[in-house]
Amino acid sequence: MDHDFNEIERRVRRYWFKDGIGEMVIGGLFVLLAIYVAGHQWLPVDSNAPLYLDGGLILILLLGIFLTNRLINVFKLQITYPRTGYVEYYPAKGEEFSAKVFIFLSFAGFVILVVGVGKWVGTFRWLPSVLGLLIGLTLIIVRLRAAELNRFYYLAGAAFGFGLGASLVNWLPQYTVSLFFALFGIVLFATGFITLRKYLRENPLPKEDAHER
Amino acid sequence: MSADLRNLTDVDRLIHEPARLLIATILAGVVSADFVFLQRETGLTKGNLSAHLSKLEEAGYVRIEKTFKGKLPLTVCKLTASGQKALAKYRQQLQDFMNKTS
Repeated sequence: MDHDFNEIERRVRRYWFKDGIGEMVIGGLFVLLAIYVAGHQWLPVDSNAPLYLDGGLILILLLGIFLTNRLINVFKLQITYPRTGYVEYYPAKGEEFSAKVFIFLSFAGFVILVVGVGKWVGTFRWLPSVLGLLIGLTLIIVRLRAAELNRFYYLAGAAFGFGLGASLVNWLPQYTVSLFFALFGIVLFATGFITLRKYLRENPLPKEDAHER
Repeated sequence: MSADLRNLTDVDRLIHEPARLLIATILAGVVSADFVFLQRETGLTKGNLSAHLSKLEEAGYVRIEKTFKGKLPLTVCKLTASGQKALAKYRQQLQDFMNKTS
């Protein structure tokens, strides 16, 4: 019996991913990140621009997360809610202030660790593999929490594969990280797009005013 | 009649009805959901869903608000604190019965 209750809760959680909009927007964010990372190499070396770009990374990421949420909500309002209904979820644990501080400090710690290990080992070629591993594991956790979203296993596989592949390419580290972000972003966007097309085909806009009780 | 069976007959009949139990379980996992979503998830007709929601609302288990999200009119339903409590108690009673009889 409890199993049935849990399945209903999982089904409601799955609904957020039903339209593929989140994947499309986050995929787009990854492509922008790829351009940002590669952009370092295009800036004049003797200027302060690369330094400012580094310092602004956290701000850009926070702004990116904020805009991503807004954009997803705007698209869902136009596409999803009129078709299959509106659901307001409880804020994720990460949306509490203390959790935001923890995430911020963890991210800062991760960057320091990456730079430290990179300087110690003398290379940053392993970085795309680590990023692929982290992103892949996140996707597997999402899949396990919501169940039946098997495309997340494939996306996790893509993250592992692209991360490993980018690490093996003999380019500058910025370009290999950029390559990883670009490839993964494009795949994420593509799976989101396919999911959205299927969703639109299966859920045409109701003709009558279905919102009236 | 054993105490376990007697305990089962004490379950909240309002929540016990399958359609209402489904509505309450869906609403328990979210802040709110609208009428269209509930209709799709439960498979009930508009009239049927409306009747069940009214019963839950009368009991104080569900709060129903007509609102707008942008320009989209929504009939939003929320499980109240007493609704959450009633559902949790019902689940516990059922779980206890299952544990003792299986």
